Amino acid sequence: MYEFLEHTSDVRVRVSGATLEELFADAVRALFAALEAVGASDAQPVTWRVSVDSVDRTALLVDFLSDVLVQAHVRRVVFRDVRFVRLTETELEAELQGVAAAEFGEDVKAVTYHEADVRMENGRWQTMLVFDL
Amino acid sequence: MNKNDFEKIHDHLWEVPRTFRPDMRVPARVYASEKMLDSILRDRSILQLINVATLPGIQRYAIAMPDVHEGYGFPIGGVAAVDPKEGVISPGGIGYDINCGVRLLRTNSIYGELRPLLKTLAHSIAREVPSGVGRGGRHKLKKDDINLVLRDGARRAVAMGFGDESDLTRIESGGKIDGADPELVSDSARQRGHDQLGTIGSGNHFVEIDRVETVYDPEEAECLGIYKGGIVIQIHTGSRGLGHQVATDYLRVMTKAMPRHGIELADRELACAPFRSDEGQRYFHAMAAAANFAWANRQLITAGIRRAWEHEIPDDTIEIVYDVAHNVAKIEQHEGVGEVVVHRKGATRAFPGQPVLIPGSMGTASYLLVGSEGSMAQTFGSSCHGAGRVMSRTKARHEISFDELRKRLEKQGIVTEAGSTKGLVEEAPEAYKDIDEVIDVVAESGIARKVARFVPVAVIKG
Repeated sequence: MYEFLEHTSDVRVRVSGATLEELFADAVRALFAALEAVGASDAQPVTWRVSVDSVDRTALLVDFLSDVLVQAHVRRVVFRDVRFVRLTETELEAELQGVAAAEFGEDVKAVTYHEADVRMENGRWQTMLVFDL
Repeated sequence: MNKNDFEKIHDHLWEVPRTFRPDMRVPARVYASEKMLDSILRDRSILQLINVATLPGIQRYAIAMPDVHEGYGFPIGGVAAVDPKEGVISPGGIGYDINCGVRLLRTNSIYGELRPLLKTLAHSIAREVPSGVGRGGRHKLKKDDINLVLRDGARRAVAMGFGDESDLTRIESGGKIDGADPELVSDSARQRGHDQLGTIGSGNHFVEIDRVETVYDPEEAECLGIYKGGIVIQIHTGSRGLGHQVATDYLRVMTKAMPRHGIELADRELACAPFRSDEGQRYFHAMAAAANFAWANRQLITAGIRRAWEHEIPDDTIEIVYDVAHNVAKIEQHEGVGEVVVHRKGATRAFPGQPVLIPGSMGTASYLLVGSEGSMAQTFGSSCHGAGRVMSRTKARHEISFDELRKRLEKQGIVTEAGSTKGLVEEAPEAYKDIDEVIDVVAESGIARKVARFVPVAVIKG
């Protein structure tokens, strides 16, 4: 799940999940919510496979989302489902499914590391994420 | 952190001494009035400035301008000069929007005569200069073209027919940072930018037609072709998606390289690498390429505005007054420290005699200044860059009505040409700090002196 919080100039969102997979998948949904993405109604499904490696799980999430953001900007797609083939502390392989975007209502410049800290708290994985608008 | 942690140097300068935190290498200095300092202390900008003061190789001080506010890594409104031999370069010291900047154009029109044409002009400009989320431009660049733009910046745009040679003399660094290496700009960055040349984008970026309301320094103003009651135009935008992606790419590169270089920092967004290292050099040359893309962008936008203007007022001509970058790193010589890499994030170069352009927010005043002698010794030749947000976009959307805002702007004599209702209300004047106070601090500190004040008469934005 994710919840948007107040931020002076950008978008701040708290994301949590029972598993790391759930956290990462919901972070993708939060990113498309921040982009105010609208999928085209008659569009064919789009599939995209990605692998990312980073120094730790926080950087892994931020880097993964940055790669997703490039797809959103360049291919103009909205991803709704994420399936992880592999997800470790520092590496992931995932398959994302979505549709062509009809519209983005907001421009996200970048996914920042600001306040990002993927950790287990009260039995759930969580982190804060800040998207630069 | 509170006011007691500062030493007051003079009425507009406050210092956090090096002893405040053991990892600080230099003191942190803030240019602000006491009242402004109270407001600055409400966010984490000073903490971020103290983090900047820990960067390897930083010289003299980490400096914050009066419009400072919380950013990522560096605060926005931050300046740091770093020794290139021993020190680092940090993408967080430049920001995601590489060479976000301002260009000021002058016309021969006067407000009284132009007034009836404003709506038509604003509409014409909006047609020639696309703005808003995901709006591409008319010029889709192929690989060879994009390489030349990345290498030569505004110079390439002029060679493509967008303006003439004399334009280049009125742009910081001639519209091109030397040493840009297009090969270091990733395919993703190119793909994000290939159709964005000549576009404004969204957020706080805009084109604005202004009336020259006050002239403080008639001699200087005359030299720059500025007269009371005259009409000027401001462009505020940067390197668009291409620059955002270069920043993202190299932040990742540096995050991975830091352990190898033995660098540990308080904030990941400050990720950096030794300037002379492979990662540091690659970032510097890619950043220069993105900065050049931004200068080409503002050059194409200028051409679009000229087309619109010519269509409506064929006997007028538009000339560039000046163009400044406010998110960039440059190699410069400074007295007493020699060669340094000056990071300016939300800060404008203000060398003595150089025009300094400070845009207000939509519906509020903007300033033309020129750098003073005092800027070199105090701030590595740097000044502030704008007003700075105080209200969140969400809050603005909830609290401000589009119709009411539009009417209010109309009452002030401001024509609006906005791509979306959201884009307009999010940038309402009340969402920003008071720019007049910011300018007074800069002027009274001897960093830059006032030449003229502009008020908007038409705003064109996404």
